[in-house]
Amino acid sequence: MSGERSFALVLLEMTLLVLFGPLVTGTIQKLKARLQSRQGAGFLQPYRDLAKLFRKSTVQADTASGLFRAIPVLVLAATVTAGALVPVVRAGTPAVPIGDALMLLGLLALARFLTAVGALDAGGAFGGMGASREMTIAPLVEPVLMMVVFSTALVAGTTELGALAAHRGTSWIFAWHAADFLGVTAMLVLLPAETGRIPVDNPDTHLELTMLHEGMLLEHSGPGLGCMLLASHTRQIVTLGFVSALFFPIAVNDAGADGSLVGAGAGGFVLGLAAFAVKILVLAIYLALVESSYAKLRLFRVPQYLAIGFVCALTALALRIL
Amino acid sequence: MSTETVYTIVDDLGALLLFTMILILAAGQIYRAIYAVAAQSFLIAVAGAVLAMATGNTDLWVIAGITLAVKAISLPWVLHWVVRKMNVRREVEPVIPVALTLAFAVMVVVMAFHLSGSLGPVRQAITGNALPVGIALTLLGVLVMATRKTAMHQMVGLFASENGIFFTAMAVTKGMPLIIEIGVILDVILAVLVMAIMVLRVRSTVDADIAGLDRLRG
Repeated sequence: MSGERSFALVLLEMTLLVLFGPLVTGTIQKLKARLQSRQGAGFLQPYRDLAKLFRKSTVQADTASGLFRAIPVLVLAATVTAGALVPVVRAGTPAVPIGDALMLLGLLALARFLTAVGALDAGGAFGGMGASREMTIAPLVEPVLMMVVFSTALVAGTTELGALAAHRGTSWIFAWHAADFLGVTAMLVLLPAETGRIPVDNPDTHLELTMLHEGMLLEHSGPGLGCMLLASHTRQIVTLGFVSALFFPIAVNDAGADGSLVGAGAGGFVLGLAAFAVKILVLAIYLALVESSYAKLRLFRVPQYLAIGFVCALTALALRIL
Repeated sequence: MSTETVYTIVDDLGALLLFTMILILAAGQIYRAIYAVAAQSFLIAVAGAVLAMATGNTDLWVIAGITLAVKAISLPWVLHWVVRKMNVRREVEPVIPVALTLAFAVMVVVMAFHLSGSLGPVRQAITGNALPVGIALTLLGVLVMATRKTAMHQMVGLFASENGIFFTAMAVTKGMPLIIEIGVILDVILAVLVMAIMVLRVRSTVDADIAGLDRLRG
């Protein structure tokens, strides 16, 4: 078992997540394009978009209040803080108590809430519609994520993600309990909803009838929009990292036993990083496949789809407790 | 393989069986339900093979083989063929909304786990969750039959329900006598064939579906 993670390591992991977030989006888009026999934009396109947006000036609606201008920064801050709670290269509790899986879900929910508030504040019709839809979906997703966390946390006796990953250990697949299978399927059902992808949301469209998340970003422009986009890239990689920490903590326990970034830990650090990249890549391929092979569901069919995840999670919990 | 490992594997397969059952319940199209039930039968065949390997019981190998050939391949194919032949609407027509069915499913699963605890000595004699999972599968199959209007879907429900009985029998007794297992399988084959022919005949003669029989008065 590994020891504690130093604060510097936590900060470094958080920075890595923010830096590589857009790359994951770029990869998914490239994969989707290839699956549709298109050439597609390069892997680095999201970075170029962000660079372009940060150079531009801001335009905002006359009706928007001062809060509107602060929203992108707040959303980005909440999402990035959530990133600090995900163990990337090593398992183990952080040296400074910063929060657990529930805190992570709470921060993501806070970011979602702030996004919706911003959309309503700007006074645009599409923003309000997107916000109301997002808020319809969110209460169906968040409790299920909680239940999946609980079904794992019951065994480990903690909700701290690093400790959960450490508890699962390196022999993860052999130690999988029946409930873990159901938990992971629940997670796979919910992943498109949480990352705002088909069949729940469509990230590529700006057609008013299909927008959920994009609708809320319409009123933002320039650096503000850049912050919002960076936040959704980060949110995506944080969610993927969250799933892999809960269910596939491969190689995180072998990495840097002393918790330092130099010396003996360096090899382990690289190993942990590579394993993390592979895990994220696998989940990204899954998302790209789902996006390419399913149509977007009608809004009223979404609860039925999410109910599959709900029943799976509840059954997982039942298998653990009863 | 140690007994411990076998029970872990059977438990895991039970979880996957429950997942396929949830898919059957939530399926919006008849084809998806048929594929899910085929996957379920395949998992049961795997469970049979695992138990056979562990106990060295050759009967179980035979049963696993028959399950694979008949229930995972042939019967789904028959159902698929009937659906194509009838050219029916492929959307599921539930009696109550699917979301509500799923809510009932949750209750059934929880009740199955809770009540099987009260079986006392029987429960304690069986390691793992095979018994409650089997009971839950059987009851959920009945739930599918009760909440769907079309005969095709009710067949899928019967099929799934039978899978549950089979799983329970296999996991709990570590292999019943071969003759009983074969009898059970023959039962299902007959039921599905008879129902398939019935559905086709009813359809071609009077052009009515099961739901139409509601208003039938003597």
